[in-house]
Amino acid sequence: MPEIHVDNLVKIFGNQRALDQVTFAVEEGELFTLLGPSGCGKSTTLLSIAGFQRPEEGRIDVDETTFFDAERRINIAAERRNLGIVFQSYAVWPHMTVFENLAFPLKVRRVAKRDIRSRVADVLELVEMGEYASRYPHQLSGGQQQRVALARALVYSPEVLLLDEPFSNLDAKLRERARAWVKELQRSLGLTTVFVTHDQDEALSMSDRVVVMNRGVVQQIGTPEDVYRRPANRFVAEFVGRVNLVQGVVAAHDGATVVVSVDGSSHRLAVAAPGGVVPVSGPVTLAFRPESVTLLPAESTTNGTNTWEGDVHAVAFLGDHYEYDIHVGSLPLTVQSGQRMAGDRIKVHIPQEALSILADESA
Amino acid sequence: MLGRLSHAGGIRSSGSPLTAAADATSSSSTRQLPRPRPSLVPAGALQFLTWALIVTGVVGPFLPLLYASVRDRPLYEDGGLFSLRGYREVLGDSAFWHAALNTLQYAVETTALAVVGGAAIAILVARTDMPARRILSRLILLPVLLPALGIVLGWIVVWGPGGYLTLLADQRLHLPTLAINTIPGMSLIESARLLPIAFLTCEAALSRADSSLEDAARSAGAGPLRVLRSVTVPMLRPALLNSGTLIFTLAIASLGIPLLLGSQRGINTISTYLYLNWTNGANPDPPSVSAGAVILLAIATILLIVRNRLLGAEARFVSIGGRAGRKAMLQLRGLRWPCMAAVTLYLVFSTLIPVLGLALMSVVVILTPLIAPWHLLTSDHWHTLAQAEFRQAIEHSVVISLAGAILTTALVALATLVAHRSRFPLRRTLPFLMLYPRATPGLIIGIGFFWAYLLTGAIGDYLRTSIWGIMVAFCVRDLPFAYVVMYPTLTRIGEELDRAGRSVGAGWWLTSRRIVLPLLRPAIFASFILMFVEILNDYDPALFLVKPGTEVIGTIMLSEFIQGTIGPVAALALVQVAATVVVLGVGAALLKIRVTGEHDA
Repeated sequence: MPEIHVDNLVKIFGNQRALDQVTFAVEEGELFTLLGPSGCGKSTTLLSIAGFQRPEEGRIDVDETTFFDAERRINIAAERRNLGIVFQSYAVWPHMTVFENLAFPLKVRRVAKRDIRSRVADVLELVEMGEYASRYPHQLSGGQQQRVALARALVYSPEVLLLDEPFSNLDAKLRERARAWVKELQRSLGLTTVFVTHDQDEALSMSDRVVVMNRGVVQQIGTPEDVYRRPANRFVAEFVGRVNLVQGVVAAHDGATVVVSVDGSSHRLAVAAPGGVVPVSGPVTLAFRPESVTLLPAESTTNGTNTWEGDVHAVAFLGDHYEYDIHVGSLPLTVQSGQRMAGDRIKVHIPQEALSILADESA
Repeated sequence: MLGRLSHAGGIRSSGSPLTAAADATSSSSTRQLPRPRPSLVPAGALQFLTWALIVTGVVGPFLPLLYASVRDRPLYEDGGLFSLRGYREVLGDSAFWHAALNTLQYAVETTALAVVGGAAIAILVARTDMPARRILSRLILLPVLLPALGIVLGWIVVWGPGGYLTLLADQRLHLPTLAINTIPGMSLIESARLLPIAFLTCEAALSRADSSLEDAARSAGAGPLRVLRSVTVPMLRPALLNSGTLIFTLAIASLGIPLLLGSQRGINTISTYLYLNWTNGANPDPPSVSAGAVILLAIATILLIVRNRLLGAEARFVSIGGRAGRKAMLQLRGLRWPCMAAVTLYLVFSTLIPVLGLALMSVVVILTPLIAPWHLLTSDHWHTLAQAEFRQAIEHSVVISLAGAILTTALVALATLVAHRSRFPLRRTLPFLMLYPRATPGLIIGIGFFWAYLLTGAIGDYLRTSIWGIMVAFCVRDLPFAYVVMYPTLTRIGEELDRAGRSVGAGWWLTSRRIVLPLLRPAIFASFILMFVEILNDYDPALFLVKPGTEVIGTIMLSEFIQGTIGPVAALALVQVAATVVVLGVGAALLKIRVTGEHDA
């Protein structure tokens, strides 16, 4: 299985930079996700890899083959890249049966008729659509069409699989099943896959690694855990999951912890800084997830670092947890907890490890 | 990769059904697949060829025309020099200025009548509870689809000086009649023919616009008429401007009606002025006719550019319009039936009476209210159609309609794909090029091709002396219809469908041939039908290209009619009307079957 190298892609639409020096490498056999809001450049990146967009600058290699290189004026035609792609709309050709849809890529490659039949049958079996070979697309459900689209992208053994928001047209229940199924298929085939989505749950649950993009700029590349627990900046923290943000100024600093005094109050927060590069002084933004906070009764005697007292403004019951809207002084916090705490006063404890220091955007 | 695929499955056999399936594939073939081969036809070459053909066809006739207009003598005479004499002659001729004024009056009156009528019928059909509005909205299209020349002849037979109804009203009933051989009379006939254009544009705008806008005005306390005046009509403004410009352009370019009615009484428009100068055997002056044609072309082009601007404005209006939902129904109450009667009356006058007139004329020796027609019955006119002259023209028309419709449909289908589904560098010029002939007067296309054939050696000579030259001119004139039919269908075919084709290894041409064109099939068929009918009924470009032995239906009808051979011409016009109705009807029926057939397949 090949590796994909995307180097310094720049794509300009009008006077807007849709891609701004996008760089990443996809490792062999991994499921690599491009995550971001609409218009962040993730689809443009995918279409550039597929050959449907021509960036102004940069370079794309798959293994030793250069697909695109602006400097050397290399741009291999989409049809010569031998990639499998599943589109958001599935793009299953409506005038062909399921069999004909799958046979088309093989006919293009002049595969013998007998081989076409056996290959198509095998791949349809793989996506559990064997009995639908003679159906037309409009006779299939959305989920089935998606399987056909996937089968069509696999039948000619492409180097790389590209998935462009393939689940966004499925309803919620079906989507969850489809995710698990595609992930398992991808893993069992060991197929290098680039996946585009705006859905953070999808990205976190399926990916080996994620690249978070915004306005054409790569924000962070890492495992789902990295991106969720140690967001590189404010955008990533806010886009991937929910987050509490606290502004402050570095007050003290030793090798292992940084103490930040929170703006507009006398509170201090100690942050674990294991070997990371942290600002030694000046303003910082701290982030922590609502579910990482521990709630304690107001009368609790615990009074240590990172434990504050606050007012409960509102509580919402969301089935598997409660969501608290708590004000510590003038600082609003969102906290998730399985427990229903009584009373209007409450203590919150924010573990040191749960806090991350975000890169200063203005820098 | 199935080999690799099974290999991977083997390594990670975790026992899941998917892995098992992946394992299963290993038995079938472990061979590496060949890479797709590049297509034999390079896409770039094919796209360039398509573009070049369109450019040649559309721009081709204008360059020789421009050249001919700045020479001191006709191009077929040796030793011409650069000269603006043609322009001086035309602009210095008081008859030209007189014709220009007539043209202006003619076009303004035609546009006003057609736009007001078309908008009114559109509102009645789309926004009121008028009875039979659905079937009426289909029938309204007949006047633009039926052969223009035949219908005009029908009008003349019935309503012209000495026409059946004119004599009946004047001599028997002593009623005043509107003389149709005056400018207002001619505008009335022209507007009846062009009204459906305004109707179609307005109806489309109304069905796109959200009728909750009107509901909101109603609930704010406005009465139905107030809503009409303050909401509906302002909403139609872009459609009115847009269709008005097109109708104005077409009226300026109109040749048949002014030629048959006006010029007999010395009322000329620019079109007839140019035509009569061109055909004036005693003293022809091609350079000045060409100069006049260039002036007319410039006016039409300016109007087209204005219209393109307006279309942009309309698009802005459309984008804020909601989806077609429930239609607000204006209660007409007591006016329901009178409104329906008015619309029906329009259809009777624009279509039924001329067609009936033709039918009657074709079976009587002479059509007069003084003697009952059944005393004058004859089948001579129909027999005349079987004579060599007429038969040959009919054969020619059928041949060039068939061949022209096939060629144009194929070329426009390709050009539409190049324009909207390729990366061909000059693709953006194609939509404008393909719409341009719509606003170009037929006589300009005729004169332009005449010069073009004259200047292109052996090929030109062959085209000039055969029916194929006429076919090419008709194809260029009518190709906007093919594009207008195909483009909207193409926009409904998702671009991901052809990208999917490219991604699995098919080049541009293979993707077009196997995926996009098959999906475009209903539109291709519809455009073939429409092209066939349009070419069959077209005539004015041919007036400048026709030679003895290359006559087509339109040219022979006009020349025979002017010579007074009215009966056989009426029969021929009737044949043309019948052929149009049958082809359109059969086409529509087949299309319905094909479209639904594809759904049920």
